[in-house]
Amino acid sequence: MSSSVFGNRTTGLSLTLPAALFAAALFLVPVAILLSEAFVGPEGGFSLSAYSDFFADPRYRAVFWRTLKLGVLVTLTAAIIGYVAAFAIVSLPPKSRGRIFGLVILPLMISPVARTYAWLVILGRTGIVNETLGLFGIEPIRFLFTETAVFIGLLQLFMPLMIVSLISAMENMPSDAVPAARLLGASWVQVFLRVILPLTREGLVIGGTLVFTGSLTAYITPAILGGSKVLMLETLLYQRVTVARDFASASVIALILILMCFGANLVLRRLATVKRRTAA
Amino acid sequence: MLKRSLIAGASVLALAPAANAQDCELTISVYSFAQDEFDEILYTPFEEETGCEVIVETGNSVERLAKIAANRESPVIDMAVVSVHDALEASRDGLLQPIDTDALENFDKLYDLAKDPLGNGEAIGYTFYATSIAYRTDKVEVTSWGDLLSDELAGNVAFPDVTTNQGPPALYMLGKALGDDDTSLEAPMEALGEHADDIVTFYVRSSQLAQLMMQEEIWAAPIGRFAWGQFKDSGLPIAWAEPEEGQTGGLNVMVMTANNGNEELATRFMDYWLSTEVQTKLAEGLVDSPANAEVTVSDEAAENLTYGAETVAQLDLLPPEAIVDNRDAWIEQWNALVVQ
Amino acid sequence: MNRIAAWTVISLLLVFLIGPFIIILGAALSAGPVMAFPPDGLSLQWFEKVFSIDSFRSSFAISIWLGLCSPLAALILGVPASYAMARYDVRGAELVRLLVSAPIIVPGIIVGLALLRYLVIPTGIGIGLALFLAHTALVLPYAVRVVSASMDNLRADIEEAAVMLGCSRLGAFLRVVLPNIRGGILAAFILGFVTSFNEVPVALFLSGPGITTLPIDMIGYMEITYDPSVAALAALLAALSIAIVFAAERFLGLSRYV
Repeated sequence: MSSSVFGNRTTGLSLTLPAALFAAALFLVPVAILLSEAFVGPEGGFSLSAYSDFFADPRYRAVFWRTLKLGVLVTLTAAIIGYVAAFAIVSLPPKSRGRIFGLVILPLMISPVARTYAWLVILGRTGIVNETLGLFGIEPIRFLFTETAVFIGLLQLFMPLMIVSLISAMENMPSDAVPAARLLGASWVQVFLRVILPLTREGLVIGGTLVFTGSLTAYITPAILGGSKVLMLETLLYQRVTVARDFASASVIALILILMCFGANLVLRRLATVKRRTAA
Repeated sequence: MLKRSLIAGASVLALAPAANAQDCELTISVYSFAQDEFDEILYTPFEEETGCEVIVETGNSVERLAKIAANRESPVIDMAVVSVHDALEASRDGLLQPIDTDALENFDKLYDLAKDPLGNGEAIGYTFYATSIAYRTDKVEVTSWGDLLSDELAGNVAFPDVTTNQGPPALYMLGKALGDDDTSLEAPMEALGEHADDIVTFYVRSSQLAQLMMQEEIWAAPIGRFAWGQFKDSGLPIAWAEPEEGQTGGLNVMVMTANNGNEELATRFMDYWLSTEVQTKLAEGLVDSPANAEVTVSDEAAENLTYGAETVAQLDLLPPEAIVDNRDAWIEQWNALVVQ
Repeated sequence: MNRIAAWTVISLLLVFLIGPFIIILGAALSAGPVMAFPPDGLSLQWFEKVFSIDSFRSSFAISIWLGLCSPLAALILGVPASYAMARYDVRGAELVRLLVSAPIIVPGIIVGLALLRYLVIPTGIGIGLALFLAHTALVLPYAVRVVSASMDNLRADIEEAAVMLGCSRLGAFLRVVLPNIRGGILAAFILGFVTSFNEVPVALFLSGPGITTLPIDMIGYMEITYDPSVAALAALLAALSIAIVFAAERFLGLSRYV
């Protein structure tokens, strides 16, 4: 926009600068120093030894793989349930759609401490899930302090983000696209792969990134539902700092987490563009 | 308008401690447990007596010491209470200074074990606790530390993480039960590692345990006596084991941070805390077992505390040097043998 | 999808997403000493206990202050930036956008640790101020994103017309732009409040004597006991958030901005 009124670049810059400087000073600089620490060797100078040490330890490797696995699983599950749910919600009349939408985003507004705490009661050996299973004669299952518990907690925590992203993508989809494809004899699988998925990939990328990033960076859910037997990178980082004052490992974990988040975003973007080419 | 309220807000946040500062203030760092009782028995009366404000930071020993270490150049905390081995580590790091015991009127009343546990005058014990096993009497019988690894308890027991205060003593006693009391703790860790799948969780917070026992997630767990209250009140048949190998435990101490510039007030606070009056009230409130030998408590309180010279003398304590010197090796070993 | 199938899916979804809060409320109403659902008898004793705990009162006050001040500060920084990026040809606007939204991608625990080590310790600023600055950075992305979205819906020519008719630039902004993006600003403020109020990982490292936020205090309390007062507090917080969101949805249509 370069009309006479808005042409002045200095004004634009001076309005943007405070926010940018603030973010840089408060955020970029301290985080960058922290990350750079992991590249300093024991005798000073550039070194990757902190990284090789980290990955040489089988226990840390296990934590890394577990974090990646849970992140991927939560994202995939959220996407599958999210598509079904978003499709159901979009098919509602506008008035109830708004209400249900409000209920879906509601959990996002509630303290994660409260949200995670509830699962402690639900998933216990005498909790509501096991009591219900008991009615069918099923032996109590141990959920707490297992990956399953962390998975369930994370899924509930972040699924709303996926659903919201998919709903906004579906709302921009031409309303007759799905009925038209159905009329032409396409099966539901074909409709999903050829019509819905290509038209909603932007929402999937945003939702997927948010869910994956959220799962990786959640602290309280793995801390309470997983405990020290199901460490994730985030809980490991906190443990290294507070218990061992091991700032080198903390920096390594920090960079790994950030790279994983960016990586997920890139992968999802790539997947989305590939889909577009095949669809075209 | 917006700007003004922002500045007001920011300054309130930034200056919160300074804005209501009185002539003097004391910043202490303590365990988060029983703060309401401490406030009533210790902080408020001390504030009233001295006219100074007590600012409290809470958290577990290790986290709080990490912060004290981070702020060593300009100490925020004047005095802290930590476990005796954390005190030793802090002392070796040069984070502490000797406490002026001549200024402590109540010093002579303490049990000898509490007077100078580090041997350099930098720590004074203020409470002892026993560590044993709490268990559900309707499910199992626990008579030995070795029972923690019994088939009966497989899948029904929680064990303290090696990084907690209860972890190493519990491992040490487990070792004794296995016939090996070496402080390398290798034998008990190996045994625990073989049974790792039978342990529900390696806990870091003892508060979880009462809930876990109520939910029947676990039937037994090693705990410190200070956590016993919540088990006793749960209405479940839970007993405090008296294992044949004996009970272990710990000593918590008060320390003075180096160069804090507030030594006089901090010393006065320590003296107040160690007084017979305060120690008696803390004991009667079942908050902390006394380190002051002149304290006498009701039978009911004595029942729930680690109380009396005899009880204290019988505790099989790991020496703090053993904990500090071995801690890194234990964590390594724990990672390799137990949690993998 | 037909109606019955749609409602079945939605009901199951809501049971999963909302059900836990009903359980919390039930557990909080328990008359027994430990958390249980269904509760052992009903009582309000745990709610009473929450209000009797001093540290919850002071940490609640701190959380409310943070929740109000940080989004306000973020808006003071974010509104001009969003405005400039929508109206001016700002060089490096993409970079600014990326910079400002980075706090969403970087795990909070890293931000907390980095600020503790490289801001609080070297400069000696108070933990309270550091926490306020950190939360401002944390909610800045919401301020910029939400306000930018409402700027995009606002046509530039109205403002241009105002300027041509003799209004000053600032005058045009205050009289034409600001009233039109009011909804977005309020929505950003509410989102910021909720984010800051519930935030855990940053505050985990940025807490100190006398400065503890409510969620951190709750975690600390859970280190001592798991009695149902934690459930009662969680239920109260959930109710507070629900009230805010409902009011916002009702009066502002918050969901348009999320």
